[in-house]
Amino acid sequence: MKPSLRFLGAAAAALLPASLSLAQLAPPPQAPPADGEKTTSLGRQYEGIVNIECNTLEVDYRTPWNPATPGGGSGTGFLIAENLFMTNAHVVSDASRLIIRKVGDPTPYRARVKHIAHDCDLALLELVKPAAAFSTVEPLKIAEEVPKLDTTVKVVGFPIGGERISVTRGVVSRVDYQEYSHSGADQHLAIQIDAAINPGNSGGPVLQDNMVVGVAFQGYSGDVAQNTGYMIPTPVMRRFLKDVEDGKYDRFVDLSITHFPLMNPAQRKALGLPEDGDLGVMVASVDSEGSAGGALKTGDVILEIDGHAVESNGSIDIDGEQTELAEVVERKFAGDKLALKIIRDRKPESLEITLKGASHYLMQANRYEQQPQYVMFAGLVFQPMDKPLMTVAAPSSLRSRYWFQYFTTDELYRDKPQPVVLTNVLPDEINTWLREFSGQIVEEINGVKITRLKDVSDALQKEDGSSFHLIKLAGEGRPLVIDRKQAADAQPRLLQKYGLGASAYIE
Amino acid sequence: MIPFRSLLTACLLAAVSPLFADDAASPARSMLRVNITSQPYNFGLPWQKQNPGTRRGLGALLPGNRVLITAEMAQDASYVELEAAASGRKLTGKIEAVDYELNLATVIPAADTGDFFAGMIPLAVDAALKPKATLDVWQFEANGAPVVSPIELNRVDLAPYFLDDQFFLIFQATGGVQYRAGTFTLPVVHDGKLAGMLLRYNSRDQVADILPPGIISRFLDDVAVPPYEGTPNFGAKLNGTLDPQLRSFLKLSDVEGGMLVTGITPGFSADKAGIKDGDVILSINNLTIDSRGYYNDPDFGLLAAGHLLRGGAKVGASVQLKVARDGSILNIPCTLLRRNPEDYLVDPYMFDRGPRFLILGGLLFQELTQNYLQLAGREWRDRAPFRLVYALGNQDDFLKQGRHKLVFLSGVLPAPGLIGYERLRNLIVTSVNNKPINDVKDLAEALKSPTDGIHKIEFSDFPKVIYVDAAQAELDNKEFVPARYRIRELQRLD
Repeated sequence: MKPSLRFLGAAAAALLPASLSLAQLAPPPQAPPADGEKTTSLGRQYEGIVNIECNTLEVDYRTPWNPATPGGGSGTGFLIAENLFMTNAHVVSDASRLIIRKVGDPTPYRARVKHIAHDCDLALLELVKPAAAFSTVEPLKIAEEVPKLDTTVKVVGFPIGGERISVTRGVVSRVDYQEYSHSGADQHLAIQIDAAINPGNSGGPVLQDNMVVGVAFQGYSGDVAQNTGYMIPTPVMRRFLKDVEDGKYDRFVDLSITHFPLMNPAQRKALGLPEDGDLGVMVASVDSEGSAGGALKTGDVILEIDGHAVESNGSIDIDGEQTELAEVVERKFAGDKLALKIIRDRKPESLEITLKGASHYLMQANRYEQQPQYVMFAGLVFQPMDKPLMTVAAPSSLRSRYWFQYFTTDELYRDKPQPVVLTNVLPDEINTWLREFSGQIVEEINGVKITRLKDVSDALQKEDGSSFHLIKLAGEGRPLVIDRKQAADAQPRLLQKYGLGASAYIE
Repeated sequence: MIPFRSLLTACLLAAVSPLFADDAASPARSMLRVNITSQPYNFGLPWQKQNPGTRRGLGALLPGNRVLITAEMAQDASYVELEAAASGRKLTGKIEAVDYELNLATVIPAADTGDFFAGMIPLAVDAALKPKATLDVWQFEANGAPVVSPIELNRVDLAPYFLDDQFFLIFQATGGVQYRAGTFTLPVVHDGKLAGMLLRYNSRDQVADILPPGIISRFLDDVAVPPYEGTPNFGAKLNGTLDPQLRSFLKLSDVEGGMLVTGITPGFSADKAGIKDGDVILSINNLTIDSRGYYNDPDFGLLAAGHLLRGGAKVGASVQLKVARDGSILNIPCTLLRRNPEDYLVDPYMFDRGPRFLILGGLLFQELTQNYLQLAGREWRDRAPFRLVYALGNQDDFLKQGRHKLVFLSGVLPAPGLIGYERLRNLIVTSVNNKPINDVKDLAEALKSPTDGIHKIEFSDFPKVIYVDAAQAELDNKEFVPARYRIRELQRLD
């Protein structure tokens, strides 16, 4: 389901942390008087909503050996339990230092990330030292259900446009699956609202009847779509909280299939379904290393998923709400079972699938908290192919682009689990004839097939009796030949000249 | 310097009429206007042609009432007219021969010429022309008066003519050429003989690229003896060997120069001659190749070796290659063969015809052409559907799988039998009714055998497989598609 939908959507929704410069907070006003009943309830209601200031370290994949560049931003969070704040993952990603500020209290409280889920853009923070100021604050309660269409919600947070807490109001406009742009490769349920959501609102609660019904996280800029903000709904929040109960976050599980609606009578007939029925979707592709690998195959028809009848457009009914069949999987965890009723070769069958997370698609997802890996040898810079690299390096080589785009679809990971790209050639006399070759995938070094970055350093250390290192790039017939002795002499010179602390960083 | 030059040109223009004797070739007697209405096919909707447009250019009159023009002018011609510049008299013509790679075409009269060519003097081709020389670029004023611009021929190189990535011999000349004819593809004359066709002119640097007379003669010789052969292809990539580490690895320490062979296309010249990946070509017909890939041409000096294997060679000719392979030297004869556009998985160019296609109840299948991808605009390599662009760039991978052409579903014309398939597009077809599909003819054949009245169509991408009711598709082909989409031609298999 993830792979099929990943490339849809005309314009990506933007994330909404405010830049640091816009969010430098002046000391907030004094807290409202404790005995004014009306103001007290209002004040107490928002007391658990905090401003989060995040200093970040951003790495540059073009110079993977360089230390990171400091940056920062600010967002919103809210108390959900004793010393436990929920916010968006993108508000606190790549954090070097986190400060939480409370309404009516100028004290900066240092915080740290307890759990972070990049695939659903949620994080839990805790104060480094639990503060008395929060001991009387009542945590916000998370609602049980997804709010109904056209019901009113409030968004509370610290967006741009001022320094104090902001409240905006709107209605639930749509409940649908959306790409979560923080990872850029995951789709989950999201709720569209028309309350103003602006940079800095990220991570803040969306309230209905004083209960949290969602976390504001992304939206479109005004020149793409008007009044379109998105929040992470409670099923996703709850799943995250349940996932981390064991002390670590394991990510979502995925069926790793694509499916096709069965609207066409000829298609229904060929697959053994009644022509005029409205149940069943066809399995189009199955990731053979995913949960359904070996169980489902192209041409199977899914009729029921965990007892929910699957309609011919792929929707199911959960508790009276129409939703995608993926939603059943979305609420489960690694190791959970999924019961399917299918038609295969025109005969009904029942299957039980044990769910697990998909991992290969992470190559195509944004990366955080990660020091870029590389090997530099004789001025040749080798890096593993991944999203941040492809974003900054954007090689024009068709083959490299194909490998990145079709890594999961064509199961290219079977051949090379971590494709390695020759990204750059740092000029030196040893590589003066090799500078035109960057941007290509490395196929082989010294007779060793390169399937991951580690292979590069291993192969370059291999003695094979030849006086040359021989590097073969995919789709390039001319080998790259480097004299072993000259390369050994050049390495310290290159490290010094280009300011590399080490020849390689491999996790 | 500049005033002097313009003074000189002015003198020459003033002296134009006495320059041409009554019985000698001259613009008025040896050059015609050629008006061509061209109408390319629409590669998105392959049953129809695009809006026609007219080009006006100049052609050189050759013996036998032939007029030489560039292929660029002749492309997709649906109506051709010859026009005498002075009198404005017109004669309907037709394209006799066209070579898009060499960018040349000949126009002949379509019917009886009457006295249209009376008093005209055809041009001979100055095939022996070499730099340095002074050439005249011929044009007409709007009123039919001749315009002659002298230019100095001073350089020879290989460059693309009309199609990208196809390198042939060009003559480069410098001098001022006024823009009169509405085109810069103009006849160039030397001593009353045709010295080339001007391909393009850079007015800032005053540099003209000229398609040389040697290429014109080879084209005319080829046209004179059917069937037309065209130019051969070596079928491999040639790389320089300047890198001393590479030379040492290739054991080239005892020899000089040479070009490393890689990327050999199976079944063509290099492959059939037994040339292998990693061979280094040291000489071609005893002409030594340097490590940049140049040789010393007896006529033109330093020239890229590609000329000896392509523009300077005939199809079927044998060249003698001296090859270094793993430390030893071999002499290998190589017969140069032609790779026609049809021999590629994706036709690199297509003019004068549309792509092969087939409509099945509204599903539009085509053979992939580069023209189709170019519909995505100037940035088509980034914008066109990536799967198809990748196939174009890695054709040999598909050819090795035994594919001949790439059949794809380019889109869907919504029809009663296609409910649920409306959004499918740009999907490579792998098999139909369990038969592999290597071209549109395979597809037409496979559609003769549905199972239980249902066609099974498989793609390499999502949704992988669809089923179509055969009877419904036949009915829609007969009634709905012709009626609603006004398509009369539902397939083009040849």
